Amino acid sequence: MSTPKTPDVETPSIEDRLYTNKYTDHEESHLGVFEEQTCLDCETYDCVSVCPANVWRDEGDGDVPFIAYENCLECGSCRWACPYDNVIWENPPNGTGMTYRYG
Amino acid sequence: MTETPNYDDHFDAIVVGAGLAGSAAALTMAQEDLEVLLLERGASPGSKNVFGGTMFTPRVRDLVGEDFEDAPTERYLGRKQFSLLSPEDETSLSVRPSAWQDPPHNDTHMVLRGNFDEWFADQAVEAGATLITETTVTDVIREDEDGPIVGVETDRPDGAIRAPVVVLAEGGNSLVSEAAGLKEPDKRQEVAIGAKEVRKYDRETIEDRFGLGEKDGASHHYFGEGACGGAVGGGFIYTNKNTLAIGVAYSISDAVEDPRKPDELLDDFKQHPAVAPLVKGGRLVEYSAKAIPEGGASAVPDLAHDGAVIVGDAASLVLNNGIHLEGTNMAIESGYWAGKAVAEAAAAGQYDATALQAYPENLEDSFVMENLEHYDWFGDFAHDEKQFLFTELPKALTEAELEFFKQDREPKETHAKRAKNMVIRALGGWTGAAKRAWKYRKLLS
Repeated sequence: MSTPKTPDVETPSIEDRLYTNKYTDHEESHLGVFEEQTCLDCETYDCVSVCPANVWRDEGDGDVPFIAYENCLECGSCRWACPYDNVIWENPPNGTGMTYRYG
Repeated sequence: MTETPNYDDHFDAIVVGAGLAGSAAALTMAQEDLEVLLLERGASPGSKNVFGGTMFTPRVRDLVGEDFEDAPTERYLGRKQFSLLSPEDETSLSVRPSAWQDPPHNDTHMVLRGNFDEWFADQAVEAGATLITETTVTDVIREDEDGPIVGVETDRPDGAIRAPVVVLAEGGNSLVSEAAGLKEPDKRQEVAIGAKEVRKYDRETIEDRFGLGEKDGASHHYFGEGACGGAVGGGFIYTNKNTLAIGVAYSISDAVEDPRKPDELLDDFKQHPAVAPLVKGGRLVEYSAKAIPEGGASAVPDLAHDGAVIVGDAASLVLNNGIHLEGTNMAIESGYWAGKAVAEAAAAGQYDATALQAYPENLEDSFVMENLEHYDWFGDFAHDEKQFLFTELPKALTEAELEFFKQDREPKETHAKRAKNMVIRALGGWTGAAKRAWKYRKLLS
């Protein structure tokens, strides 16, 4: 006997999720790392694990993570996730970045 | 670029951030006839804010009086549900008191921050405050190296703006307060990451699914492996007029251990058999995230400094004891008491930390610090007990319920006894149960 099926729910990709948001580019990344060597020595990439928008990307080359800053939801989680306090985080300038309409 | 008016030395106080704490402070000070500059980095107040959620409104009603009728609320909270989720099952408790259905609805309303914060900042402006948006504060200005704070640096042209007092209401990602040495960064075990979808539905769909009328709403809180893996945290659904807020929030120290990223965890939560029927369909209209400072009373920094006070999330004024999830009310309360203290300090012409002490003192006597201190043990407790609370307990309850309600030819007494033994075993035997009962007694106190 089969149980009633759980209804399908939409599980959008990060790109589809971000597509619904209002965003103004600021052309220069508001994110960065203080010391590249710290990232080269890092084995856990906690910044990548915690990011809800795929901003921080482990490219698999053991290098400093690629930073797709224009995906950033501005939660700041990467700052706390990094065990080495190696994340540079600045607020996007002059009203740029994410503009939440619902919040 | 249009001509920029010169704001330097023109104001009695500068408020950094027009969220709820900042606007409450600005409104309070404006009502005390202070000249207030309210700076917001977003395009409009609320445009950088994210929350669940329900707002608790006693202080807002006091501050704005009859104007509260025009506040852009979504639905009042008529029903609250708590659920424990094992990977496939749900055990829940739903509370729907009739008293909540009558005004003022236990002062609990669903709101969308985009329009609520804009309205609340408008109240401050109507009371006389000056609001400037699209302006990011990048640093504080000090008189000399370790001297009092006398203003802020911004990203406006000629960005320095001086004023006797700065109210830091910059939110949980408190870059300015930290850089200025006014607070230590929170530990990652004490900060939660929240990820949320807002989905649009027909009003009738929401009302039918959640058993609601036109004005009442429901909040659903989910704990356990089916909500957030083994993490300290939970999932939530809030009903707005024609949208649902669906999300997860869980400790960053747990998030880095889960192989799933927050968006994947959110997907799994939405697909739980108890959740999917409530959230299926609809149209995604926004995806957002927020860091939530949940370190409790011990994470609250010094609130008054020479020439500055810290309010709201920036001061870690968030309560999460599993049952009560509060922050916006504490933000508003802290903004109110900070505003009052600044007005007193201004009257005395003194702006050092001692002159601003009325703020931490009054906050200490208010529900804000009372509650944070009362539940300060919860954070460490939840992390210590997470294997039991979020994984073992939901599973044991499900198994015991299956046994208790089982239909076969055995007597009820046999099923009840077996079910009881299952629960006792999960609790660690009678001794374990007694120890846990003692340890957990504070949860409901």
